[in-house]
Amino acid sequence: MIPALSIILIVLLLATLGGLIRVFRGPEPAERMLAAQLFGTASVAMLLILSQVMEMPALLDVALVFALLAAVTLVCFVVLAAKEDR
Amino acid sequence: MTDPLLIFDVILGLAIVALAVAVLAMHDRFAMIVLFIVFGLLSALAWVRLSAPDVALAEAAIGTGLTGALLLTTLHHIRATPPAPVPVPAGAIIANLGLCGLIFGGLVVAFLSTPLQAPGLALPVAQNMEASGVAHPVTAVLLNFRAYDTLMEVVVLLAAIVAVWMVERGTAQAPSPVMGEIYRGFARLALPAIVIIGTYLLWVGAYAPGGAFQGGAVLAAVGLLLLLSRLYRPQPAHRPLARLGFVLGTAVFAGIALLVASGGRVPFEYPAAHAKTLILLIEGMVTISIAVTLAALFHGREPEYASVSENHK
Repeated sequence: MIPALSIILIVLLLATLGGLIRVFRGPEPAERMLAAQLFGTASVAMLLILSQVMEMPALLDVALVFALLAAVTLVCFVVLAAKEDR
Repeated sequence: MTDPLLIFDVILGLAIVALAVAVLAMHDRFAMIVLFIVFGLLSALAWVRLSAPDVALAEAAIGTGLTGALLLTTLHHIRATPPAPVPVPAGAIIANLGLCGLIFGGLVVAFLSTPLQAPGLALPVAQNMEASGVAHPVTAVLLNFRAYDTLMEVVVLLAAIVAVWMVERGTAQAPSPVMGEIYRGFARLALPAIVIIGTYLLWVGAYAPGGAFQGGAVLAAVGLLLLLSRLYRPQPAHRPLARLGFVLGTAVFAGIALLVASGGRVPFEYPAAHAKTLILLIEGMVTISIAVTLAALFHGREPEYASVSENHK
């Protein structure tokens, strides 16, 4: 129906899957964690597009929850990583 | 020309399977956790593509947000380095392969024997929506038509926190985790937003995807942030309040069921005139319980008196 949006979706997914290389190779925990955050951000973008393509406004709520809780995971990581440096 | 969305679905499906293999194959425990978080994000997308936004919401809130934080603190608690992997005997691998093959075969048989055009239970649900008191079919099924299952799910969380507090009593000498400093300004900015979103998800559950589990999981993030930024430190004096929070959802849920049953009805057959009120009351209380329990699970221990541990319970 909206092929342009669908193609953007595929590009977004492939781009984030490319970020997996950083998760695998690391070597620093922060590098792996930030790659996961990239996934979170891209997922929000994909959900926003999907809500248009699939005509499901409820997906905007899912994107909202993604955006909020990804930050919480990151805060958790920062707090715990700060201890290991000491 | 194939539908581009189909290509998206195929890539997504393959990526999920590959990630599942990668999580198991990694040796670095931190990398495993990160991969698991990514796995959760992608499975939430898969639920979206299966037109199940309710499950996607739950996966987004619990699977990626809270599980990631829980796993990270668990890793933080584990001090011992893992022992070198013991070579697995070939017999065990073959037996495992055989059992997995059996399960896979069973799934294939079950899948192939499912009638293609089965009507499912969507029609009976749609026909009885007026009696449910809410306008969203998923909420109607969870809180009314199959409320017993939902009650048991709430009990599972209650059992989990009881077990965690009991285990922690046995190892009361374990040092409490040390946490680094974070910028509290973020917590001040994010907390009001999370409270509003969590409450909104609870409220919207009556007529759109959302509800107690999703709202509770998002509100639990408030507890996590408060604990992480140390705007709130668990006090032993707060234990009765916490216990009340743990039990509240189960108690109200079961209490209403018993009240309804005492009126000569089936336990979860709410009178249609009050169904919406009762469901909202149950969902509200269950939300509080879920939020408090998940946050307490994240803390992972019963608040203890810091130095005066002579008066053991």
